[in-house]
Amino acid sequence: MIDMHIQLTSQAYCKMLLHTAKYPHCAVNGLLVAEKTKEKKKDGHGGPVLCVDCVPLFHGTLALAPMLEVALTLIDSWCKENNYVIVGYYQANEQTQDSRPNQVAQKVAARISENFNEAVIVMVDSSRLTMSCFEPIIFIYDHVENKWKNREVTTDAFEDWNEAQTITSALLVGRSYENLIDFDNHLDDLRNDWTNPAINKSVLDLC
Amino acid sequence: MASLSEMYDVGWEEMRDKLRKWREDNCRNSEQIVDVGEELISEHSSKLGDDIWIIYEQVMIAALDCSRDDLALTCLQELRKQFPDSHRVKRLTGMRLEALERYDDANKHYDAILQEDPTNTAARKRKISILRAQGKSTEAIRELNEYLEQFVGDQEAWHELSELYINEHDYGKAAFCLEELMMTNPHNHLYCEQYAEVKYTQGGMENLELARKYFAQALRLNNRNMRALFGLYMSASHIAASPKVSAKVKKDNIKYAAWAAAQINRAYKMAGRGNKDNKCSIKAVEEMLESMQIAMP
Repeated sequence: MIDMHIQLTSQAYCKMLLHTAKYPHCAVNGLLVAEKTKEKKKDGHGGPVLCVDCVPLFHGTLALAPMLEVALTLIDSWCKENNYVIVGYYQANEQTQDSRPNQVAQKVAARISENFNEAVIVMVDSSRLTMSCFEPIIFIYDHVENKWKNREVTTDAFEDWNEAQTITSALLVGRSYENLIDFDNHLDDLRNDWTNPAINKSVLDLC
Repeated sequence: MASLSEMYDVGWEEMRDKLRKWREDNCRNSEQIVDVGEELISEHSSKLGDDIWIIYEQVMIAALDCSRDDLALTCLQELRKQFPDSHRVKRLTGMRLEALERYDDANKHYDAILQEDPTNTAARKRKISILRAQGKSTEAIRELNEYLEQFVGDQEAWHELSELYINEHDYGKAAFCLEELMMTNPHNHLYCEQYAEVKYTQGGMENLELARKYFAQALRLNNRNMRALFGLYMSASHIAASPKVSAKVKKDNIKYAAWAAAQINRAYKMAGRGNKDNKCSIKAVEEMLESMQIAMP
């Protein structure tokens, strides 16, 4: 039984993959955000939680605390401005053959869960990253009975899989990942905008 | 398809200079290196003089990063022809085997180099890289420690070891590696800042105070280091907020945090000049700083 039905928009999925593609030799991570809904239905049968966007965080060394804290606090402020809530965390490991959530992933997800009960971990399987994006390459983990459990990912996990596939593939081929900004890039130069307006516009143009 | 030089209106000298800058900065922008290098080699090789050999090496490694085995092999063959007995070129052969994930063959290859030249550091480091690529962190750490006992001045190796320890959450040992680097490079603000991050992550009041001091030191060495500035703010704020510190320590740290906050706001305002979209960032930062403000006693 699935605890929470989440769906990814094309923008969220494609930016996750662009981040992964930009740093093929590194681990990368980021946050998933959804729009804040007015009331949470008591019977648990509300619509799916739609992850409308993601914020790429770091690449390389993910296991240090201070910048992660800064990012979480800053992005939290940004979420409040835009009526978003952080609902999940994504990570692609340095080792392509290993796509299990490690200690870092679990710690950040636990932190997110303080604000959003059913936070998920999305692991990107970079070993299956292709230009054509013919299949979804993510694993979704839910926190069930104190463990992180893998659930089956179908095209149901996407608002519109065909659109997500087309857009992601187009942006990979066009090497848009060269312009993807993560929080690390932002710390290197504050003018780098981690909301990625240029890429968001490309996604919109392709919809 | 238009050539790079046509698209961007650059001459071969600029392309050659770009490659040199990327070599000096040790950038891993492999796709760009392949784009620029491939064109330079195929169209302008005669003009490059002796530079061509180091360019072949640079492009070959970038080609391996991009799965361009065709290009890598071309470069490798030119280098083999020119330098038939070179260990440096043999190392490149080994790297190609690594890229093809033929790790056993690569290891045999490096062992052969080490047989002929036991002091060959490049071959030893490649063997350690293979361990890392295979996910064998414990062995990689062990081998790297042994290597450093012999080659205690190898900074790249100390830095690699600090990364391996951080990934294993062994922050104490990571700090030790960074201490070595800070001792030999006292003016390097990045090492100071990374050391501070490790100390902060280790946690506890003593480590937090050390972190604050080293973030401050990093800022003295480079006042534009945003990570150091944020780090100073975070560590001072946490110290000030702790119930265990004396009133004086609390007061001092509130001052440090306030100073850092002002600098952060200033840095964001300067960055946001002329860019309307960045207003959101400035607001988010102001709010973040407000939300963390510690009340004066």
